[in-house]
Amino acid sequence: MSSYVAYFGLFRTSARTVLAYRMSFWLGVLGGILPMVSLFAIWGALLSGERSLGGLDWAQMRAYLLVTFGTGSLLAAYGDFRMANRILDGRVALDLVKPVDYQRSRFAEALGGVGMELLSVGLVTCGVVIITGPVLVPHGVQALLFLAAMASVIPLKFGIMYLTCTLCFYTQNYVGLFWARETISALLSGALVPIALLPGWLQAVSGVLPFASVVSTPALIYVGAVSGFHAVQLILVQVLWTVALWFAARLAWRFAIRRLTVHGG
Amino acid sequence: MMEYEADFWLLVLAGLLQQLVGLAFLGAVFAQVQALHGWTFTEAVLLYGFASFVFGMSPLFFDGLWRTAWLVNQGDLDYALVRPYPVMLQVSGSYVGLQGAGDVVVATCMIGWALSRADISWSPLTVLVGAVLLVSAVTIRVSVLAASCAISFWLQAPHSGFAFAINQLGTLGRYPLTIFGVALRGVLTVVIPFAFTAYFPVSWLLDPGRYWWAAIVTPLVAAYSLILGVRIYHRGVRRYESAGH
Repeated sequence: MSSYVAYFGLFRTSARTVLAYRMSFWLGVLGGILPMVSLFAIWGALLSGERSLGGLDWAQMRAYLLVTFGTGSLLAAYGDFRMANRILDGRVALDLVKPVDYQRSRFAEALGGVGMELLSVGLVTCGVVIITGPVLVPHGVQALLFLAAMASVIPLKFGIMYLTCTLCFYTQNYVGLFWARETISALLSGALVPIALLPGWLQAVSGVLPFASVVSTPALIYVGAVSGFHAVQLILVQVLWTVALWFAARLAWRFAIRRLTVHGG
Repeated sequence: MMEYEADFWLLVLAGLLQQLVGLAFLGAVFAQVQALHGWTFTEAVLLYGFASFVFGMSPLFFDGLWRTAWLVNQGDLDYALVRPYPVMLQVSGSYVGLQGAGDVVVATCMIGWALSRADISWSPLTVLVGAVLLVSAVTIRVSVLAASCAISFWLQAPHSGFAFAINQLGTLGRYPLTIFGVALRGVLTVVIPFAFTAYFPVSWLLDPGRYWWAAIVTPLVAAYSLILGVRIYHRGVRRYESAGH
């Protein structure tokens, strides 16, 4: 029982960190909005008239991009750079002596930022609605399916980030890992282009990796491009990936930790 | 820099990947349409490649600018202040962003491929003006980066959030300017002149008759940006208190 108090402490500290660095946070949000602006402009130009691409018309595409922005914002404030830096400079050794589980501790910290992140997504959505008009909203069963799909997004993203940080035991630098991950996931998750519009071989690659579960699944369900049995199927895939990544991360950590060397200085 | 070889390749690879994904994005878009606001696939690749080249040069030679925020926050700029060399150049040269190497390699390939297919009437003048435009574009890019990083002297936060946001605005310059609304076009042309880091130079290259003015205005914007960027950074340094936070 007492350990839950410890995790809650980490959660609260991390939530307060986001509040303490409000300016950084909102500038980060602004930095996240701008790429969405170019995607809006490009798809807007492509889908003008009554056109539809990859089964999506302009109304659906706008909603798709908004969900993409939302899933992209979640855990954006999470200190993956902080975790990586502590591994790189050896201070992780101090975390290891604490009587709490390392992975759960980082997860609790990640959750700390979610409140502000949801707030920012809400505000940006309002902004988009004010500037470009009402956005599609799913109803009934579809809305429930969407919420179910969103539930997996946070643990999935966390799993991917945590695994990337674990690789820092093998490299001396996180920036390259960070960019490689961001880039690969932008393409294979459907954040840049709906997966249906990618060339066949890239679709196949995306199909065997977890990235699509983070973005494409909730976005396609939200706009109604996927429904019923197929949606349930995709949600099950999400759940499987969530569980698999959690345990893969645990296993990877156990291996990687053997390489820990602390030089200091 | 070559201390950790695996990291060198990792960063170069990250840069390469980023550009290839950009190319894949253009490919997916142009698989659906012949032209985007009058720009064919070849021309769009030229624009994207030009912008990526310009953006890749700044991590390669000026990546240290991003450290300004941290140096100010920690009060670590003292070293640079006591040396007899411009502070801005000391900071900007203090780090090399190797992802820029990946960016530049792929961008050069994109430009080369697009130029070999694009309909451009070449003359010695085209080459000369093209080179001037490229240098101007890099100058604008670096000046904007210096100015936006210098804001840290006033904000004093440990992270370059402001510079990051401005940098993201710059990524809009990789696409034809006309796809954006009037307000955004105005911002990109007048307020923070990212439109001159690729769109106008490439437009001149493709249609010098119609965009003749771009060849004259771009170097002027570059000179103006450079003066302003150096001034803002200098003002910031004078405000520096060395106390840290």
